Amino acid sequence: MEGFPNLGCGLGLRPPHYGAAARGHIGVDWLEVITENFMVEGGNPRRVLRAARAHYPIVLHGVSMSLGSVDPLDDRYLDRLAALADEIEPAWISDHLCWSSFGGHTGHDLWPLPYTEEALAHVAARVARVQERLGRRILVENVSSYLTFRHSTVTEWEFLDALAARADCGLLLDVNNVHVSAQNHGFDAAAFVDGVPAARVGQLHVAGHRREPTHLLDTHDHPVADAVWELQRRAVARTGPVATLLERDDDIPPLEELVAEARRASAIALGAAA
Amino acid sequence: MKLAELEARFYALVTAPESVAKTLAALGPEARREVEAFVAGDGRLSAVERLDVYAGMYFFRIRDVLRDEYPRTLALLGETAFHNLVTDYLAGCPPAHPSLREAGARLPLFLGAHAAARERPWLAELARLERTRLELVDAADAAAVTLQALEQIPAPQFPALRLVRVPASVLLANHFALLPQWRGSEDAPETPEARPETLLVWRRDLDVFHRAIDAEEAECLERVGGGIAFAELCARLAIGRTDEVAAVRAFELVARWAADGLLCEPAADGRLCEPD
Repeated sequence: MEGFPNLGCGLGLRPPHYGAAARGHIGVDWLEVITENFMVEGGNPRRVLRAARAHYPIVLHGVSMSLGSVDPLDDRYLDRLAALADEIEPAWISDHLCWSSFGGHTGHDLWPLPYTEEALAHVAARVARVQERLGRRILVENVSSYLTFRHSTVTEWEFLDALAARADCGLLLDVNNVHVSAQNHGFDAAAFVDGVPAARVGQLHVAGHRREPTHLLDTHDHPVADAVWELQRRAVARTGPVATLLERDDDIPPLEELVAEARRASAIALGAAA
Repeated sequence: MKLAELEARFYALVTAPESVAKTLAALGPEARREVEAFVAGDGRLSAVERLDVYAGMYFFRIRDVLRDEYPRTLALLGETAFHNLVTDYLAGCPPAHPSLREAGARLPLFLGAHAAARERPWLAELARLERTRLELVDAADAAAVTLQALEQIPAPQFPALRLVRVPASVLLANHFALLPQWRGSEDAPETPEARPETLLVWRRDLDVFHRAIDAEEAECLERVGGGIAFAELCARLAIGRTDEVAAVRAFELVARWAADGLLCEPAADGRLCEPD
């Protein structure tokens, strides 16, 4: 997708690897950081980010834009994000199709939306406003979810398709989230992957999850599951090679293992071009 | 159901102090039916259980962050009391900042008025020290002037030397002498000595430090926070001292502060001293 070049093999940067990132010693092509962790005044996080930026393209991946909330968009948040983007010059900026705040309070979670026309109009208008404020298109990511709302009128992938068209934004397709939600709600993950508009997908996420007795949890604390690799292959068969990134937040293995797993994702993405 | 109503209901349920099931039970059978009317459930997980997945994630995500941020407070309170404190804290001070790291910012103040600190009022001050140290980790950067740079200043220019404290520094006025508890030393009294004590907390490069300072140094550092000339510092220290003794004391303090990395480098114009 225009504006979202294939950066190759990416890794989500987490604190244990700040030092290696600052020295350019992580064997991947680009890094994604959690935006809010770097929206601070100074100290080590900003120093690491500046140093890492000297070695890698950086993507700012947010968790708090709350695109689906009925609260007003947080202008101070957007101002700080814009300032960080001016400094770091990220390859792009992304956040989630969810809401996380209500009544001025935040839940620090990625809460699901109903897939209705009202929600679509609301989120599309907010994505458009964010893009106008940031002066760039953003990527919007599908989340893992544990419940659905009875009054949804379309599927999640139909909603994403319509959102991307109406807001003229890109999509970050997280195939682990597709798998988790499909298992939790009993829909066909392949239909989801086949249903998103491939031309709008600017990035893929792969990650691991945890199996609970009654559902899957999107924990990012396990290696990528085979079913998720399969979904990635299916996705890149439609999108072609796109920037692909491994997320790992807990029980983080040695860096070499992480990079090897990220390279596996990248190889699958490249295989689409073969 | 309109989006605003859905979000209001969802938020109220998943952030309630009790589980969703208990919250609904307290509201009566109609409340559960209303939930089931807008949240889909199935044989594996009911609508209420699905909401409880989110309720659990809300509470435990934030509680785990607070555990990491307040390890000494946690150790002194114990697991159960800390868990209950967090439950009450989230009900009284729900997070309002986009960064998860800010979720615990008001915990020390909250603890000060909470039953968990009734018998140990000093716990709130200890929590505040933990919080302050954490906040200084990513406070604003400022290059610190070195002792060597100060030594290059000709003596006649010293009275005009501009002293400004680095932004990554805080003075905490406490009612208890906390440091034995902080260190966890074996000979620490069960209850800290109740006497006023000011702690200076600051970051030098990437490391955060703290130390107890006397009332006079605290007052001087308070003034240096806004920026003062060396001559003004000397004037303050001359209360009850001769000018010569005050100047010696001022030099001692400034040397210590410079060695600690507490004083800002000169402004962009490179001047360490005020113009004549």
